[in-house]
Amino acid sequence: MGKGGMSHGSSGGEEENMAAWLLGVNNLKIQPFKLPPLGPHDARIRMKAVGICGSDVHYLKEMKLADFVVKEPMVMGHECAGIIEEVGPEVEHLVPGDRVAIEPGISCWRCNLCKEGRYNLCTDMKFFATPPVHGSLANQIVHPADLCFKLPDNVSLEEGAMCEPLSVGVHACRRANIGPETNVLVMGAGPIGLVTLLAARAFGSPRIVIVDVDDHRLSVAKELGADETVKVSTDIKDVAAEIEQIKKAMGTGVDVSFDCAGFNKTMSTALGATFSGGKVCLVGMGHSIMTVPLTPAAVREIDVVGIFRYKNTWPLCIEFLRSGKIDVKPLITHRYGFSQKEVEEAFETSAHGGKAIKVMFNL
Amino acid sequence: MGEEAEENMAVWLLGVKTLKIQPYSLPSLGPHDVKVRMKAVGICGSDVHHFKNMRVANFVVKKPMVMGHECAGIVEEIGSQVKSLAVGDRVALEPGICCRKCTICKNGRYNLCPEMKFFGSPPTNGSLANLVVHPANLCFKLPDNVSLEEGAMCEPLSVGVHACTRAGICPKTKVLIVGAGPIGLVTMLAARAFGAPKIVIVDIDECRLSFAKNLGADEIIHVSTDIQDVCEEVVKIQNAIGAGVDVSFDCVGFDKTMTMALAATCAGGKVCLVGLGQSEMSLPLTPAAAREIDVIGIFRYRNTWPLCIEFLRSGKIDVKPLITHRFSFTQQGVEDAFDISSQGGNAIKVMFNL
Repeated sequence: MGKGGMSHGSSGGEEENMAAWLLGVNNLKIQPFKLPPLGPHDARIRMKAVGICGSDVHYLKEMKLADFVVKEPMVMGHECAGIIEEVGPEVEHLVPGDRVAIEPGISCWRCNLCKEGRYNLCTDMKFFATPPVHGSLANQIVHPADLCFKLPDNVSLEEGAMCEPLSVGVHACRRANIGPETNVLVMGAGPIGLVTLLAARAFGSPRIVIVDVDDHRLSVAKELGADETVKVSTDIKDVAAEIEQIKKAMGTGVDVSFDCAGFNKTMSTALGATFSGGKVCLVGMGHSIMTVPLTPAAVREIDVVGIFRYKNTWPLCIEFLRSGKIDVKPLITHRYGFSQKEVEEAFETSAHGGKAIKVMFNL
Repeated sequence: MGEEAEENMAVWLLGVKTLKIQPYSLPSLGPHDVKVRMKAVGICGSDVHHFKNMRVANFVVKKPMVMGHECAGIVEEIGSQVKSLAVGDRVALEPGICCRKCTICKNGRYNLCPEMKFFGSPPTNGSLANLVVHPANLCFKLPDNVSLEEGAMCEPLSVGVHACTRAGICPKTKVLIVGAGPIGLVTMLAARAFGAPKIVIVDIDECRLSFAKNLGADEIIHVSTDIQDVCEEVVKIQNAIGAGVDVSFDCVGFDKTMTMALAATCAGGKVCLVGLGQSEMSLPLTPAAAREIDVIGIFRYRNTWPLCIEFLRSGKIDVKPLITHRFSFTQQGVEDAFDISSQGGNAIKVMFNL
């Protein structure tokens, strides 16, 4: 099968691999990143497009997220795509030069959860930029080839990198069984709310209402295809009034709500707005402990569906992008190169939110 | 039968803690209805709640109302279009009359019908009476080996059966049940009948726990009402179940019980909220969602009577031990019955024999 080799005349032997390391709170540095050796089932990929996620920003600011604590320097980044430079001897489906999108998480593939296909819940998951596993904001990385998905000619590398956030939306729509009869409410028009909107439409949802506190984000959502937008407040006293507004905007009942923010108010609104027998997917991770009117929802047999990352979503995301059923390009609002200054600016821009939806590195 | 002389009597709720046996004028028999002589009627926690508070959640008792909804009896008269039943048939009754026309009903989830008329849920009169008139399709014939008391038990048992159906209980599902009251117990019986290989049940009351053990729980664990004890109790639960909880049923419905259920359940599992304790709950919902635990809502039941009756006929479920107290249909009997039922403790199911 051939070992693969160096591609495009670059003298890989001389090049020192560099990466963006998280060294402490608000402390990022581009430093050398030594790659592990290439295993028989691995690929070495030159990174070309890497996006920043809310969780990356959170680690930068807090050095931890939920139970994950950054105890030693860690390479950032997990939303990525690139070009194959070399493949291990057992790899049959990829060759050097192939353009690929990368699924970040390496599961154990042996435990019961993995064997049942719910590998996103594997307790031994090694996920880019979730400590202590290094991320992919680097010149090159080594990764299992089965987690590298070839991109069709008409899908760019940036779109390839967008498969990662898009996967969250796709996975949520699958768990919620979105289809041509499902009227959808999306709470939050940030990056996750927007990819969920795009995914819900691609799955056939006939009507989608999206809410947010920010007018600009609502107008982006409208341009991306939301049927109706509703501006909401951060004041929990407004829940009842907002539920009425949402129901009016939907016209018919809300079958599935996606809470892509994850706060008491957004969950309470979602639970109250959803029709009997419907579902509320908790996608966003705002608060840990939530105070919500759960029982009134339970007596209407509303189910709360948990969402964690994704599983088996890359082929579907790529197909959606190839066919044009989903267009993620408008979500990429800011681009930066791979230099110390630009890395710092990029994270600042992303942390600021507002008009920044997806911040992308081009390497 | 000389029934022209008989005045139909029922137990009416007149005010807080005020019950009186008084006449109850029946509606006329429609073509699809049957008239049933009540023989066995059980008391439920919701009946007691109406008794004490004149309301349950948004249902307010604004005028006198007949109590009772867990019932079985003997058919006395059938409407002109009724073909499925005959006079003398012993039947168990499904209480709720849905509209049959709305989208929810037509999609089969009739328990959620907004126009539902449910025995003993204001303003609909209940069935703790000599006679009731009810749609024939909601009266299910009992096999010879299933008693009328067991027929009345189909109603609470249906809650457990519906919860197990929604939760997908099968021979692979290891189950945790929080709360060993009547609902926890029928859920346990249903889970076993659905094939659950291991069932752990927890409660704050030792007496109820040993009752649960006798009914077939694999392990029982005594827990506290203190939310600080959750972590420790979850460890005990996980040790008791061995391989991980696939489905938890919270048959109580408080912050603590839901918190315990969420924490004890395996990634990818389900927690069913069956008990209606608190309205607003403060829970570690996000950590549970991050393990893709789904919270399943349960409201009453749908299409459960045939299965309950089959379980009772075959002996796969034995509800008879749950009937701990029996009372007669007299003013004193009624008052004593509600007294005993509201005390809880070792009273599990209080049954009237009429």
